[in-house]
Amino acid sequence: MLKKKICMVGQFGVGKTSLVRRFVDSIFDERYLTTIGVKIDRKDVTVGSESVTLMLWDLAGEDDLAQLNASHLRGASGYILVADGCRAASLAKAVELQQRIAGQLGSLPFVLVLNKVDLRDRWEIKDAAVAERGWPVFETSAKAGTGVEEMFLALAGKLVE
Amino acid sequence: MPTDGRDKPLAELRAILLGPDRAAWENLRQRLDNPSRRAEDVAGVLAEAVRLRSSGHSDVKLRRALQPLVEEALQLSVQSNPRMLADALFPIFGKAIRKAITSELDGMLQSLSQTLEQSFSLRSLQWRWESLRTGKPYAEIVVLRSLLYRVEQVFLIHRDSGLLLQHVIAPAPESAEAKDPEMVSGMLTAIQDFVHDSVSGAESENLETVRMGEIELVLAYGPDAILAGFVRGVAPRKLSRVFQDTLDGIEQKKAEAFHTFSGDTSRFDSCRPQLEASLLGQGKPDERPSSSWAARALLFGLPVLLLLVFGGWWVYSSAIDRRFANFTHRLESEPGIVLTHTEKRGSKYYIAGLRDPLAADPASLLPPGLPSNKVDFRWEDYHSLVPRFAAQRQLTELKGQIEKRGFHFKTGSAEIPPEQRFLLEDVGAEMIALIQAATALGKNAQIEVHGDHDPVGAEKLNVVLSRSRAENVRAALITLGVPAARLTTMPEDLEKDRSASFRVIGVP
Repeated sequence: MLKKKICMVGQFGVGKTSLVRRFVDSIFDERYLTTIGVKIDRKDVTVGSESVTLMLWDLAGEDDLAQLNASHLRGASGYILVADGCRAASLAKAVELQQRIAGQLGSLPFVLVLNKVDLRDRWEIKDAAVAERGWPVFETSAKAGTGVEEMFLALAGKLVE
Repeated sequence: MPTDGRDKPLAELRAILLGPDRAAWENLRQRLDNPSRRAEDVAGVLAEAVRLRSSGHSDVKLRRALQPLVEEALQLSVQSNPRMLADALFPIFGKAIRKAITSELDGMLQSLSQTLEQSFSLRSLQWRWESLRTGKPYAEIVVLRSLLYRVEQVFLIHRDSGLLLQHVIAPAPESAEAKDPEMVSGMLTAIQDFVHDSVSGAESENLETVRMGEIELVLAYGPDAILAGFVRGVAPRKLSRVFQDTLDGIEQKKAEAFHTFSGDTSRFDSCRPQLEASLLGQGKPDERPSSSWAARALLFGLPVLLLLVFGGWWVYSSAIDRRFANFTHRLESEPGIVLTHTEKRGSKYYIAGLRDPLAADPASLLPPGLPSNKVDFRWEDYHSLVPRFAAQRQLTELKGQIEKRGFHFKTGSAEIPPEQRFLLEDVGAEMIALIQAATALGKNAQIEVHGDHDPVGAEKLNVVLSRSRAENVRAALITLGVPAARLTTMPEDLEKDRSASFRVIGVP
């Protein structure tokens, strides 16, 4: 059985925490996020015949005041960039975070999640802006639960490769 | 061979064809042949070459090749100038040593204060007894027994990722329920990071213990891993050291596995025995009733038994002592016995003194509870002046004198010869004295007068002669005042001589 550390990052308020809430095992209160800046959940997936345990480090959202704690990134095997499809600025933040993480950890598997797909009518992010980067993108809805399992499975697949 | 004509054009051709490259070749040749040029070349690319070679994690050849060189160089450096290395290492070691000393002192203080608290309790007596019984130093027993704790869970955590490598739980049923250890492991790492970042000036400090109610979290850190233990009760200071040693051992053994770790935790399965060994604990007495009962029974039963044995022995021995004392008192009041020395030698008694042979036999005076083999007598004979013994001695003397006396008769005569009549008065006086002395001692003395004859003459006449001789002596003594009732005549059947003699009976 494999275990992997995965960091989940994104701008403050993009819905990282609510995105995974229904899909992961959790024993810690969400208050941890605001107190110590991180909350750890667990997600078990099966890739082919291999079971993989993803330890999800949900890192406190970044804004102008709070900076991502770099020490929480140490030892990660991959990461999830979360952006809010209805806020273009959150994608810019995700791009910025990706560069910072790649600078610190080198090239690691990651996925980009565009959340709040249920609010497609208020969508600000242009598909072309995302597509030009060539990143694996998942459109998800924390509300409807769409796309989340697929996103985890895809990331785990990349980690096992 | 004539070559001049052909060589020239060939050389020209060579110059035309290779002219531009020749200088370069020459340069190359020199660089290869000249050692100092070659060294310059290698020096230029050495750093880059080493960097390239060492960037691949799995390639250990260069490291292996350099290892003896580096070791030797370090050794040389220490030999030539130890100060240089010491100065370089001080910032690391100084801190570590300070920390170790502080922790050691803390531990000492902790156990010292506990010792003081418990130095005059029943518990301390228990520990002293245990120390006596097991031969361990008292201090060690105090530390062992006064700190009740139990390591309930141990986590081996990958330091960078916070991933749980191994997790062991104490088998006892009352262990705290293990919540998802994977998440606990990650969170522990995160909290450690948090504390690390929150406390300024603590870059190299780590969270070592965290207390939550009666659970204490004890942490040990290595370059690759963290060992975390959940301890119920008061964890002794030495536990941190045990954890650190365990972790150091695991990191050393699993260096390769740590280096190439990519999420496969099964490579650390073989660490479980070490981790299980660190599930230490000193159970509270009420957690192990059977052994504690046995200990209590031993603790209290043995002294009671000893008390009974010693008490019994003491009662017995003091009873004998008392009997001996009574016996010596009895002897002291016994006429004709003077004690000069009495003492107890081990389990035997010793009596020395003076004893009149006429005195009672001391051995016959021993009381029933004092066996004769327990008492050793040493007597010196003496004559006591006690009246009874004086009288007894006089009596014995008189008896001896009287029994030596004798009257000798002429042949065929029963008359006491006149020249022996003065003897009668002496014998009479002795007999009167003897009878008086015997009466004074409560004895009834009887004197037999024996008359006998010689072998000459007729048998019949001789018998008459013997009787007459005795009768005559008796009659003469009666006239001298000897009570008649005390004198009896005994004609001798045997032929002896012509005499009359005396035997005193009823007197020892």
